[in-house]
Amino acid sequence: MEACSALISHSLPCISFAGIHVGIPRTSGDLQLLGRGEFNLSVKPRKLSGSFMSSRMALGSNVSEDTDDMFDDLFKKYGKVVFKRNDQKPPSAEVDDDAESLSFAVAVAKVASEVKAGDIRVLFVKPLVYWTRFFIIATAFSRPQIDAIGTKIKDLAEKQYGRVASGDSKPNSWTLLDFGDVVVHIFLPQQRAFYNLEEFYGNATLIELPFENQQPFRS
Amino acid sequence: MIQPQTHLNVADNSGARELMCIRIIGASNRRYAHIGDVIVAVIKEAVPNMPLERSEVVRAVIVRTCKELKRDNGMIIQYDDNAAVVIDQEGNPKGTRVFGAIARELRQLNFTKIVSLAPEVL
Repeated sequence: MEACSALISHSLPCISFAGIHVGIPRTSGDLQLLGRGEFNLSVKPRKLSGSFMSSRMALGSNVSEDTDDMFDDLFKKYGKVVFKRNDQKPPSAEVDDDAESLSFAVAVAKVASEVKAGDIRVLFVKPLVYWTRFFIIATAFSRPQIDAIGTKIKDLAEKQYGRVASGDSKPNSWTLLDFGDVVVHIFLPQQRAFYNLEEFYGNATLIELPFENQQPFRS
Repeated sequence: MIQPQTHLNVADNSGARELMCIRIIGASNRRYAHIGDVIVAVIKEAVPNMPLERSEVVRAVIVRTCKELKRDNGMIIQYDDNAAVVIDQEGNPKGTRVFGAIARELRQLNFTKIVSLAPEVL
């Protein structure tokens, strides 16, 4: 609960901030802050409806309606986008980047399946989290296998795509390789069931893999 | 600014409810810990019937501090509480979900696992 209150107290000043000062000439540093504030705003209703009781929800929706009205008024008054962050790319560049990440993600998944990782899932999580584009979740059945998968993926990334992974360097029961826009999770079966990342990112779209994923187990 | 004897809330579902910092990991005589630092802590309060118990010594990563966090672009983030996530020796979180907003600095400090379990990243 306190964490949520921290969130609200963090985002509320941004609302008033955005509301009062939009349109007044300001320095670039302030403008950047304003942009971030709006980002928080867009996230907030989802958060509230997800985890709060109905009374809180009513309060939250009231606040968001107020701010909506406020933004509508501002839009009528000024008519155009008042501020746009200059580090945003045009949509075409975004699509190109997405395609590049997708090809890398599929290549990584293919390598993982060559080393007999089980149940490989590629999730497009960009609509859910801003900090990455694709998640690859795979199961390995022993620590040496985790090591093998991790090394193979790192080699492929370095040789063909020129990327270096941060994250775990040693094989771990949950090994994570962070390539920036692609994040690879390799689990032992027990840890995979324990953390259950697929359920947490259940709203993400699953990418169909072009190769046979489910290899039949021989008991 | 977390130092030994500071009490912290727990921002995950590991079963601990309150921690007390007893040591900061890193340098030998470090005075304060900030967001993204690993501390050794003792569990002061725990949820009943969970694997973690009171008075157990654990490692934890600080995810929120009342002391403000400054970024290079001039942004300042300050939370209303001090909170930490319990991890094991390998760096895996003991809980399966992280609660509340956390800062993206944790990703740069190689705590991407915690970031990927969090509902919101600032």
